[in-house]
Parts: sequence; structure tokens; C-alpha cells
Amino acid sequence: MLRSNVQGSTLNPPVTMVFTGHFRPESFAEFVRHRAARLSLAMRLGTVNDNRVEVAVEGAADLVDMFEMACSLGPIDCLVLDIHRNAERQ
Amino acid sequence: MGFAAGWYALALGDGLEPGTSAGTQLFDKELVVWRDASGASHVWEDRCPHRGMRLSFGFVRGNHIACLYHGWQYDEAGQCRHIPAHPTLEVPETIKVPTYASVEAAGMIWVRWDGEAAGQPPADIAAVPVRSLYLDREPETVAQLLAAGRAGSFETLSPGSFATALEGADLFLALQPYAAERTALHIARTGGDLPLKDIAMWAEELRASLEALPAAGLAPAARQAGAAA
Repeated sequence: MLRSNVQGSTLNPPVTMVFTGHFRPESFAEFVRHRAARLSLAMRLGTVNDNRVEVAVEGAADLVDMFEMACSLGPIDCLVLDIHRNAERQ
Repeated sequence: MGFAAGWYALALGDGLEPGTSAGTQLFDKELVVWRDASGASHVWEDRCPHRGMRLSFGFVRGNHIACLYHGWQYDEAGQCRHIPAHPTLEVPETIKVPTYASVEAAGMIWVRWDGEAAGQPPADIAAVPVRSLYLDREPETVAQLLAAGRAGSFETLSPGSFATALEGADLFLALQPYAAERTALHIARTGGDLPLKDIAMWAEELRASLEALPAAGLAPAARQAGAAA
């Protein structure tokens, strides 16, 4: 179960983000972990390979948006071409 | 680098007005030194957690410092308190700038380097800040040239601090290991009444000497414990 440590924030259901592009899996995974920790988001990695990374995150909606923006840039050795969310904000 | 844990001077206290910030380095690490509206000085990592912009380029707003880039504001403890693009957001505690312990003593702003191993902060002796010198030379070499008397007669107070006397002035010098090949020396007058401009002219000559003197014959850089007495 995902759990956020943000107190008093409006929480939304978990959002799964699917990043597609060209990845060094371990590099992008570490980047995602770091950004989620910085933003106090609960995070769980799903599929991680050279062309696709799935991440489930939960936390305040604004912070989830920040997470998406941060990951859209990604580390220098990865290229994000597209992002898809499977659950939209409430 | 040949210096160990200790307290290092980063700036002259009177060179940082309330509400201003300045960037500096210690052992190549970029730091921001800023003074809030109440007059308290702070030493932090010079990097906004958001996009990495140097906070020394930012603006001091009361007792917060705001990043130039997107205006994220941090309180005296380094905690982000306000994000302009999300004004109602309760900012998580994980958005925080790494901070360093600092004190003001002997007319200078000092940072504690390497945590508890640094020992006690420097004594707050009465001193009038004079000027800071920035030298293109390795910190270890500068310290050894001073300790060996190559650039004049200096008393070594600690591996990173020295005293000397001019006609009409007693001086305290604190060495800042800025980077591998760059050194700062902060100078304060601890006695006498020699005009500060005369001391500043002497300091210019000292800088020229320290940059030009040969290092031949100096002992290999040894790890030195503690920067300030």
C-alpha cells in the first residue's frame, strides 16, 4: 500500500504514470526515487526497461504534478518522449 | 586537500548587509552566505532544491531567502515555506536546503565544516574587518608559506589562522580553502590604529608575494587538524 508522509494535504488516489522514451533503467529509476522522496510522495515502480517506465505515485495533487514535470526532464542520460497517466486528478 | 574538520572563515561580517546574499566556495563546495532582515547570518548549500539555481542569486525577503528562478522561499532553517505557483500548498518538510552551522567571530562569518569533528567555534576576539584577498594558489601552499615566514613574520595560531604585526596594527588572518588551487584570506585588525586603507595596501602586496613565492623547500602537504583555534 502506498502511503504519503505529507500531513494535512489533500490526497488523491494513486496515479500511475507511464513514461516512454529511451532510458537507462537504473538511472531513471534512481532519478524517480529521488524526486518522489524530495516531494514526500509515496512511490512504487512497476515496469522499468529501456523504453518504458511505470511509476505509481500518491500524494498531494500539486506535488504529483511537480513530480511529473520533474520526471519529464529526467536525468541527462535518458530521454522522455511521452507521459501518460492512467488515473486523472479528482 | 590538506585541511581537516574545522571552522573556516568565509567572509567579513561587515561585508554582508542585512537582506543580502553572496556566493562562495569551501573545498570546491558552493555555499551561499546570507544575512536576514534581523541581522542573523546563514551558511547553506548554494543550490535551490527545485531546479538547482544558486540561491546566492536570489533575494532575501525578511527572514526568508527566495530563489531567483521560481521564487521558492526558504526560512532560516532552510525549510521551503512558500511556492508561488502553488500558494495554498502545504510544502512538505522534505523540500529543504542543506544548512551548515555558522557563527560570527573576530569580525568574520565562520562555517563549521565536517560536523562535530570541527570542535569549538573560534573565539570572538575584538576585531575590525579589513578586507578579503582571493589568491590563485593552493590553500596548503599558502598556509605553509605563511607558517614558514616566507612572506613575512606570521604566528601560526592554527593550521588555518595566523597573526602578524605591522607598525601600528596587529592583524588576524583566516584562511579559507576555497578550491583546490584557490585560497581566500580574510584579514581583521585586532589592535593598533593604522588606517584600514594602509592595511589594505599591505594586503595587496601580501597577495602578490603569496602568488609568486616559490614552493620549493616546503614540506609536502600533510593533513592538518582544525582550521581555527
